[in-house]
Formats: sequence, C-alpha cells, structure tokens
Amino acid sequence: MKVTLKDIGKKYEGREEFTLKNIDLEIEDKDFCVILGPSGCGKTTLLRMIAGLNSITEGDLLFNDKRMNKVPSKDRDIAMVFQSYALYPHMTVYDNMAFSLSMRKERKKIINDRVMEAAELLQIKEYLYSKPSDISGGQRQRVALGRAMVRNPAVFLMDEPLSNLDAKLREHMRVELVRLHKALGTTSIYVTHDQTEAMTMATKIVLMNDGKIQQAGIPDEFYNKPANIFVAKFIGSPTMNIIEGKMIKGKFVSDDELIIITPSLNDTERLLAFEGKSVSVGIRPERFESGGEFGDTFTAKIDVVEMLGKEKILHVRLKNDSELIISTPGHYIYDENEEHSFGFDVESIHFFDTETGLRIN
Amino acid sequence: MEKKSIFLYDDIGNSYKRKNKYLLELYTLNAQMQEADSNGKKVIRNQIQKLKSNKKDHPYNIAHDTFKKEEKNFLSALNAKTKVYKSEMDTSGSRKLRALKTDLFKAKEKVDFYKKYVELSYDAELQYEQSKIEMTYLPEIIDLLIVTRQELNAAYEAKKKIDRDKEQIAKKNYSELKQIEQKRFLEGKVKLKEKKKSGLISEKALRNGIIELKAKRKETNTLNSYNIETKSVKELIKNKKYVLTKGIKLKLKILKSNLSDVRRKTPIETGKTVPFYSFLTILIPGIGQLLNKQYFKALLFSLVTLFIYFIAIPYALGYGNYQGDGISGLLSLAKDGKKIDKSLIFMIEGIVAVFLVLITIALYALSFNDVLKTEKNIIRGIRPRNWFETVSKIEQEGFPYMVSAPALLLTIFIVLVPITTAILLSFTGMDPQNQSKFGWVGIENYRLIALGQGLAGSVFWSILSWTLIWTVVATSLAIATGFFLAILANNDRIKGKTFFRVVYLLPWAVPAFITIMFFSIMFSPNGALTTVIYDLFNIQVQVKNDATLSRITLIFLQTWLGSSYVFLLSTGVLQAIPGDLYEAAQIDGATAWQKLKRITLPIVLFQTAPLLVGQYTFNFNNFSIIYLFNGGGPFNPSKYGNLAGSTDLLISYIYKLTMENQYQSIGAAITIVISMGLMLFAFIGFKNSKAFKEERL
Amino acid sequence: MKWFKKKNKLYLSDKQPLSTLGMIGLALSYVVLIAWVIAILWPLFQMVVSAFNGKQEQYLMLNDNFEFSFEHFKYLFSETLYLTWVKNTIFIAASTAILTLTIVSFTGFAYSRYRFKGRKASLMAIMLIQTIPTFAGITAYFTMHSIIGSLAPWFSRQMMLILIYSGGGIAGNTFILKGYIDSISTELDDAARIDGCSSMQVYRLIIMPIAKPMLAIIALWSFIGPFMDYLLPRVLLTNPKSFTLAAGLFTLISDFRTLNQPAFAAGGLLTAVPIVILFIVLQKQLVSGLAQGSVKG
Repeated sequence: MKVTLKDIGKKYEGREEFTLKNIDLEIEDKDFCVILGPSGCGKTTLLRMIAGLNSITEGDLLFNDKRMNKVPSKDRDIAMVFQSYALYPHMTVYDNMAFSLSMRKERKKIINDRVMEAAELLQIKEYLYSKPSDISGGQRQRVALGRAMVRNPAVFLMDEPLSNLDAKLREHMRVELVRLHKALGTTSIYVTHDQTEAMTMATKIVLMNDGKIQQAGIPDEFYNKPANIFVAKFIGSPTMNIIEGKMIKGKFVSDDELIIITPSLNDTERLLAFEGKSVSVGIRPERFESGGEFGDTFTAKIDVVEMLGKEKILHVRLKNDSELIISTPGHYIYDENEEHSFGFDVESIHFFDTETGLRIN
Repeated sequence: MEKKSIFLYDDIGNSYKRKNKYLLELYTLNAQMQEADSNGKKVIRNQIQKLKSNKKDHPYNIAHDTFKKEEKNFLSALNAKTKVYKSEMDTSGSRKLRALKTDLFKAKEKVDFYKKYVELSYDAELQYEQSKIEMTYLPEIIDLLIVTRQELNAAYEAKKKIDRDKEQIAKKNYSELKQIEQKRFLEGKVKLKEKKKSGLISEKALRNGIIELKAKRKETNTLNSYNIETKSVKELIKNKKYVLTKGIKLKLKILKSNLSDVRRKTPIETGKTVPFYSFLTILIPGIGQLLNKQYFKALLFSLVTLFIYFIAIPYALGYGNYQGDGISGLLSLAKDGKKIDKSLIFMIEGIVAVFLVLITIALYALSFNDVLKTEKNIIRGIRPRNWFETVSKIEQEGFPYMVSAPALLLTIFIVLVPITTAILLSFTGMDPQNQSKFGWVGIENYRLIALGQGLAGSVFWSILSWTLIWTVVATSLAIATGFFLAILANNDRIKGKTFFRVVYLLPWAVPAFITIMFFSIMFSPNGALTTVIYDLFNIQVQVKNDATLSRITLIFLQTWLGSSYVFLLSTGVLQAIPGDLYEAAQIDGATAWQKLKRITLPIVLFQTAPLLVGQYTFNFNNFSIIYLFNGGGPFNPSKYGNLAGSTDLLISYIYKLTMENQYQSIGAAITIVISMGLMLFAFIGFKNSKAFKEERL
Repeated sequence: MKWFKKKNKLYLSDKQPLSTLGMIGLALSYVVLIAWVIAILWPLFQMVVSAFNGKQEQYLMLNDNFEFSFEHFKYLFSETLYLTWVKNTIFIAASTAILTLTIVSFTGFAYSRYRFKGRKASLMAIMLIQTIPTFAGITAYFTMHSIIGSLAPWFSRQMMLILIYSGGGIAGNTFILKGYIDSISTELDDAARIDGCSSMQVYRLIIMPIAKPMLAIIALWSFIGPFMDYLLPRVLLTNPKSFTLAAGLFTLISDFRTLNQPAFAAGGLLTAVPIVILFIVLQKQLVSGLAQGSVKG
C-alpha cells in the first residue's frame, strides 16, 4: 500500500499556529519508513493522523490514491503497535489478538487460523491463554505485534514500540522486526527518537523537527549528505563536529582562526558564492587524520579518552578551549593531556550556510 | 476582517477568490474607496452607484440568471428521466440497491450538466465535485451489495441442503471431541496439582494454570463446534448479514463524509452583509435555521419552540400547576387562596417554574447563537453545515453530555430544587401557627440569629459553641487514637496483627445506630456501665442527667466509634510507605520518635487529609449520636430554652425545630447558615488537597 | 541429641535484637492494644449476651441472672415487623446500589475521558454542594413527594429515598471512579478504536471491565449506606410497614407502646452480624477504595 501525504497540516483548536504544516511525504509500497525526531517535533501527531486518531486539518492523506482523511480508523486497514503495547488487561492473549476481527463479526475459524499463524510466527503459542499481566515485557511486545498482524493490514504503524525494553532485548527485537518486515512485506511506518533504530531498520528515514520535515531519504544520505545542520548533528554517534567561521579568499577560516581548511576541488566551486559570508563546517569524528602531516592541520590537547575497544573517542581542546570530538582506531595509543596535530579528510567535509543551516556542497 | 470582503474564507482560514464578478467589482471598489482621498472617494462613489443601478444588466448577473434557469429546466428533466430509469430497473434487487443505482444515475447526469458552470458559480462547483465523488464511490458500494447478497443467498441454499445424517455424525464427533478435551483438561489439572505438591509451583501459579487450561478447552470446543455444518452456515449467514447492514452503512457514511469535506472546501457567495435573521427570529427558535436552509435543525429547534410556548411559559404563568400559580405563586405563597392551598406547594412549583424559565432563556440563547454564527459564517464564505455534519459533530463531541444527562437530571431534582426550597424557606415565616399558609418575612430569621434573639437566635450561639467544641475535640481525639493504635499495631514485632485488625474493625462495622442506642441503654441509671462504674469506683453517676458528664461521655463514645475508621485508613497508608525511607533514616541516625515525627506522620496525614477533612464535616453534622444517645438532653431551659438540650448540635436542633416543633423556616435559616460555613471550610480543604492541585482535574 | 542443640539457640530474626528499653516499649504496646480490644469487645459482648438472656422482659438487665433462650428472637420475628424491615432495607439498598452504579459509571467515564466545557466547574460545584447536609432538603422532599405521589401513585416514599441516596452519592462516587479510570492508559482507548469500537463499545467492552474493582467498591458502599442511615428513613417513612431496619429497630426502644429492649438487642445482633462479616471479608478493598479516592484524586 502506498501512503502519500500531500501538504498535510494540523492545527489544534484553540491554538494560534499550526503544529504541522506543509508536510509532503511519499511512502512506497513495502517501505519501512522511520519517522525520526526529538521529542515534541510532531512525529507522534503525524502518526496518529495517519492512523485516524487525530483529525487532519488540511491536506490529503492518500492510501493508494484513495483519500483517507474522513475514513474512521477501523476502516483504514491499518494496525498500530503502541509504545506501552496497550494490551487489554482483562482479556487473554488469544482474545487480545482476536479482538479486532471479532468486532467485525468475522467467522471463528478464520479468526482462529489467523491468530495461530501469527502466534506461530512470533513464538507466543505457549501463552495464548494467559493474561497480559502474567507475561514479561518482551513477550507482551510480541503479543502487541501479533495483534497488529492478525488484522492483515495494509499498513503497520508503530509508535516507539521498543522504548520500554532493556538494551539487549531492544537489539534483538530490532533484527526481529526487520525480519518480520521482510517476511510479510507490509508497508510499515515507525516512529522513534532513537537514531540507531532508524539507521539500522529503515529503508526510508524522515527526520522531523519543529513540525517540519528536515530531510527525507535513504539512511545513507542522512549520514553522508545531511541536508542541514540539524540533521548533521542529529544523526551519527558521537555527534558531528560543527565549526563556525567564514570563507576568506576561498579558504575556510574558523571564527577563532585556529582552524583553516582548504576545501576540495568539487566544493570550491560551490563555495565561491559564499565568499566573505558565514559558513559552518561539519566533520565526522572519524574523518580526522591523525598524525597531521599533510594539508591543513591544527593542534589540540587531549582532555578525555573514552576507550570503547574497537575505537577510542578523544575529546580534545583547542587553544581557546573550544572542543572537538575525534574518533580513532582502538589500537592507536593516545593519552590524556597529550598534544597532537590533526588533519582533515577534505573529501568528507560538509559545508553549511550558517544563517539558514542548509547544506552547501 | 471586513464585512465586504474581496475574498471568501473557509473554516480553517484558507482564502478563495470570488466567482461572482458583480460582487467582486462592488467590493473592490469599496476597498478602493477606503484608501482614496476625498476627490477619489467621490468618483468611486459614483461608480458604485452606477454599478448598483445597473445590477440587472451586469454581464455576470445575466450569466448567473441564465444558469439558474437552465438549472431549473435540467432538474425537472432529471426528475422525469429518473422516473423512467426507475421503472425500467430490474426489480429483483432490494430497495437499497435500487436507491443506490438511482443515485449513481443522477450523479452521472449532474456531472455532465454542472461541468459547464463550474467557473461561474461555487454552487455549481459544489454540485459538480460532489457528483464526481459519488460516481467514484457508489459503483464499489453497489458491487459489494450485489456480491454479498449473492453470498448470503448461497448460504441460505447451503443451509437448506444440509444432510441430516451428516449432521448427526458431525454432532457425534463433536461430543466425542468435547470429551477428549475434557480428559485433556483433567489430565493437565492433575499434572499441575502434582507440581504444586512437590513445591515446583505456587498456589497462585496453580490457579492461573487452571484458568489457562479452562480457556484453552473453551476455545478448542468452540472451534470444533464449527465442524457441525449447521453452526458454521449459521455463522456465515450472520457474518454476511452484518456486512449487508453495518458494512454498507459504514461505506455510505464514508461517502457522506467525503461529500461534506467538499462542502467545507467550497465557499458560498452571498450579497448579504448583515446577519439579520438571527435578530429577527430570536423569539421563535427554528425559523432562523429554516432561513439558513438547515431544515432538519429547524425541525429540532421547532420542538424547542413547542416546549417553550406550550410547557415552560404556561407553567410559569400558572397553567398546569398542581396547586400553585407559577412564578407569581412564589410571591403570593397562596396568601388569599383556597383552604386547601398550601404555601409550600406554591413555593416549590414556583421554584420549578423559575428553573423552567431559566432553561427557556438558555434555549433562546442557544438558538440565537446558532443562527447568528451560521449567518456570520455564510457572509464569510463558509457553507452552513448540513444535517449529516451536525449529527456527526454531536456524536463526536456530544457523548459526554448525553451520557451525563441522567446524572444532571437527578442532581437538579434531588439536590438543586430542595436546596433552593430550603433557601427560600428561610426567608418565610413557616412556624407552628403558619403551617399550611405562610408569608415572606425577609431576613427576619437571619437577623434573629445574628442578634441572638428569639427562638432562632437566643440559643444559636451557645449551641454553635458546643458544636464547634464537639467537632474539634471528638474528631481530633478519634483521629489521634486511631492513628496511635495504627502505629502501635503496625510495628514489625507485634504478633497477631490480623486479630487486632479484625477487632478494631468492629466499631465501624456494626451499624452505628445499634451501638449508640445500646450505649444509651447501658448508661441509663440501671444500665450495665453505670453499675460497673459503681462497682469499680463507688460513684453513682447520672450520666444522662448531667450536662458535662453527657458531653464527656459523648466525646468518648465518638472516639470509640470513629477511631476504627482512622485506624484502618492509617494502617493502609502505613503499609504503603516504602521501607527504604525508614532504613535510610536509620542510617542517618534517626531515633524511633524522629522517624515517627518526620516520616510517618507527614506522609499519613498528607495522604489521608481529604478524608480527615470529611471526618470533621461529618461530626459537625453527626445527628445520630447526639439524638440517639440522649435526645440532645439533658434539658436546661434557662440556658437552652424549651427545645434544645445541653448536648444538642446545630443539626439536632434543626431537626427538633423542623420535625418536632414545626418551625421549618427557622430550621431552614440555621441550615443555610451552617451550610455556608461548611462549604467554605470544605472549599479551602479541597483546594489545598493534592487532588485539586494536580492539573489532571 | 536434642538437648545439645537447645544450648545454642540461634537468634534467627532479621532485625536487631531489642534493648531492654525496647522490650519495655513493646510490652507497653501490647498492653495498650489489648486494653483497647477489651474496650471494644466488652460492650459488644454485652449486646450479644442480652440478646440471648431469656430472663429479661421489656428492659435489659445486665446482672448475673442469665438464662439462655431464643425468646427474644422469636418475639422479634413474630410480634414485630422485623422481616418486613429487612426486606425493605435490602430492596432500598440494592436499588440504590444499582442506580448509583449505572449513573456513576457513565459520569465517571465521561469526566475522565472527555474534556468538555464546564468539566472542572461542575465537579467542584457538586463536591461543594455535597457538604450541605441532606437534611436541608427534608421539607422539600416531603412536599415534592406529595406532588408527584398524587400524580403517579406508584411513586412510594421508598422510591424517593432511593433517589435521594443515589443523588447524594453521585458527586463523591464520580470523583473516585474518575480517579481510577484516569489511571487506565488512554492508549487502550486508542487501540480499541482502531480495532473497531465506538464510544459506547469502548465504555462497555474495555473500560468498565477493567474498572470492575472500583465499581465493586462503589456498589458496596452504596449498598451498605442505606443500612446504616437512620435519619432519612425516620423522617421520610411514616408507615411502619415501610420502615427500614434503622427506623424499625428504633421504635423498639423509643416508642413506649412497642418498647422491648431485648428484642432490640436481638434485632441489632441479627443486623450487625452479616454486615460485620461483609466488612471483615472485604476490608482490604473497602479501605483501598477510600485511599485511592483520595490519593489518586
């Protein structure tokens, strides 16, 4: 099922401004689309509008070119997994999964077949007749998934379903969900604030902030070609370093003049238009050259070394106390309070217009 | 937001260009005039005059008139065509099917006709878009209807053809399967019990396990039962019927929603600038809605008009009253009426009449607002809602109102009317001589109370002071005792907690009136307690004849009764206090007393505060204990007059005044006075309690 | 080898051993607690005894003249309208419970799940009005009943009583129920709507079953209330045949014509026993219900 959002806007009654405006989005059939963003950015509102739990003020929601704005939730052929699973506590797992079909007076045999199928797939057959309060969190999560699956919906909607699980289980379920998606092939729309989940699970990511879409595309693009400073800082752990400065005579000079970068040939052209203007440079921690022998370098003192095994994270300070984060392979030897020179992998530098935050190269 | 706006707007604020070129010119000129200088204004005003006088010949208006004429012709032709279509239609389908097919036919015709006029008028655009939507959705619904009907018929056929013998075999199979399931269940149960015996699982797990086994058995049985063909066919029939009725209904509802969505997005143009319908029709709800072309709503409001003019107003004027005379009865209170006329009935009917008038005014306001809003919206460009949209809105937002309606009704009936009666009564002079008929005396009763004179006032203050002392002392003593006992009993090292709890529960569990009456007997001169005290202390006490002794006894009695409630409450809260708090305190070096003072006490008091406040108000009005113990006595006419006794509370005094001596108006006045006081007290108490502070309320 | 083991008695308790002061304190606690137990049990015991004391005539005697007999119970059942009173009280209590439950389940749900105009105000208003003693409306109740009674003869005083009890209970119970339903996550409502429930179905199939514990408590309170109330039946009910237990038993000790204190003791005992048992069995729920109402708000 293809889901299209055309110019969607949401205004709550009694509020002056629109919470969401001009949201355009196309989700192809069989996509696993993750809507990512910090708290309060509007992603849950968007999901609820697609689900029909909140009304759409303006714009069109289309499922396969059919307008869904006014269709009640139960008729949209969707299923939703909630953050707290929302299992009916007074019904058995079986009844929970069968509920939506029994509301439609579907035949018992069909209900049973579907429930058994889902239970088999999710390995919850043993507790079909227990109540939700008698099973663990991870099992409840699978029951919530099962309940959604039984409806055989055209679209799966998931609202941060993994946030209530512990770290190890979360890792495991991430893989399970992807496998499930491959097996069932249903279009899924998944909301989260965790960028790891987004990057590992999605076929398409939509990053939102402040009620607007910051960037939409495949995960690779987000990491390697962030559309603006917000995206650049949101994706990637540890966070990308952003250095502010100006373009002077074709070179980037940071505001404190401690860092000078000569842009690569490809970028130089684009940067011509920004001569004399404020420009921000983004560098991923792993894109520094240690040793600092060629090109532009800078010197910095190492403050804290985080030892992660396969890599070391160095928190360094420049002469004026501004900080950068550098990531190096774990077998390199660095110690705190040492001073080193670092250089840049010029091809991987991101240039942003400081005023608008938008990407230049 | 100008009245003569160049643009049209919809609900959300999007603007649309006007299609009515005549109005557009007119309003553009208007706007220009606002900005022009005095010379320019003159010029423009002339232009406007010319324009208005040539209204009929304006090209747009000519085109529009033509359109209207064509439309009329088209619609009558359509009617004829539709009749023909209907008569030629296949009559085998159900009525619903035929209606849908007719709608589809009409929609097709409309699309062709209105297409030509879309640019000209928004009304045409509305028809066009709506017919287009119908053409998109209706075929699908019609198909679903036909297919499901066929499936249903097939199911009926199948039902008829069921083989008797096969049925018998199937039924036998089913009961065999059931027995297998039962065996499986029992086996499972036995296994579980063995596990429990060997200590592998707990009692709770055993119970849960049995519940699960039962659920499984039930499901399997149900499933197996569908092997019996009759049952499965019946289910299929039920399922298909459901689709035929509810399923189709739902799809039609979606269609209607989409149609009304278009309605929301297509503005309406009108030359009207002043919403005068609402003002003209304020007195007759329903006509305004009619003029706004909301026909069903008009019908609804016309019922309101009927109510107002045939029920509310006549009743208020006195017609249809049981005895009373409507609102004027309130003033006269049956003064010169017949012998059988009772002032009280006049008063109550007057109150009901007042409420009816209030409701009427509210209804007028409701209708007026509705018409006004709709009119203003039309001027802006927003189409009035049709009946479907109104009903949907009521369904969505009206649920809480509709569902609270019985509660509201009961509250008005049981709470508001009586209280109003009491308030009004306090301003009358209903006393033993004026039972059947009485008149207004204004604030005379309150004056007496305030000044401490007369039957009402002379004893009021002394009774008040005893009431206050009683409330504070008895409640506080009960709370302190209950709390103290709870702390003692909750100590980890005390054994036999259950025993204590059960025993301490008893004073609360045994209905109070029984224990009070009993204590009353036991304190009588020959009673058990009097005898015991004599045996122990060699004093002959006459509790019931001595004011001070009575009071002290009553306070102790209330402590006896009230402490168990506080005990239970405190125990509940004490048990909920997490142990870590005490452990942390212990490490910090707190002594037992400090733990009590700084952890236990604050927490328990905080949690139970609202309920404890309730205890104070309860004791303030604790009629039973005072009246049942000693009738409020012992008597002391010099101090308390002929009615009240030394232990009377205000509430028992009111009782005596009202019920035994028929001084209802004075009783009412005192009631109002203490109610005001209690309400203030409760208001302060509630406001500060946790419940109200939280935003969630 | 048992006596060997006795020598090394291990201190097995998890807590610190008590100091002497502590032990004295503990002993004193026991003394106080037991004293209070006696204070409670003795009067009740007297009541039980006098119910069975056959030597008493119209007045209670509490001396050593005791003779066990069921005489007073027999008197209760044969000479008084005790059984009628029981029937009346149960009828009134049950009707009150049902009516209150129906109304309050709706209002509790509406106030919890919907934000509508006048929500805060009406709740506060109702809570305040509840502090006015029911007594204030007595005169009005009388008159209202006579008006309605003449129009609809089947509207008895007892029905008036039921309405008064139910109406009086709406505010407090709505508040408590609302607090409980507030603690049920709204995501359940959302999931139910996606699964196909209308508002009524959400109420009936999802919320009400989960709120059963609280509903039971409300039903219980509404049922017990009429048993305990003395004032309203005394005032409103005039025909001895329609009395409730409270009013009826009172005639046994107040009215000189029907004075029979031992029978009163017997009747009191019979009334008290089931209620006490009910309370004991359900004490946990009752108290937690109260606490929840205040704590959860």
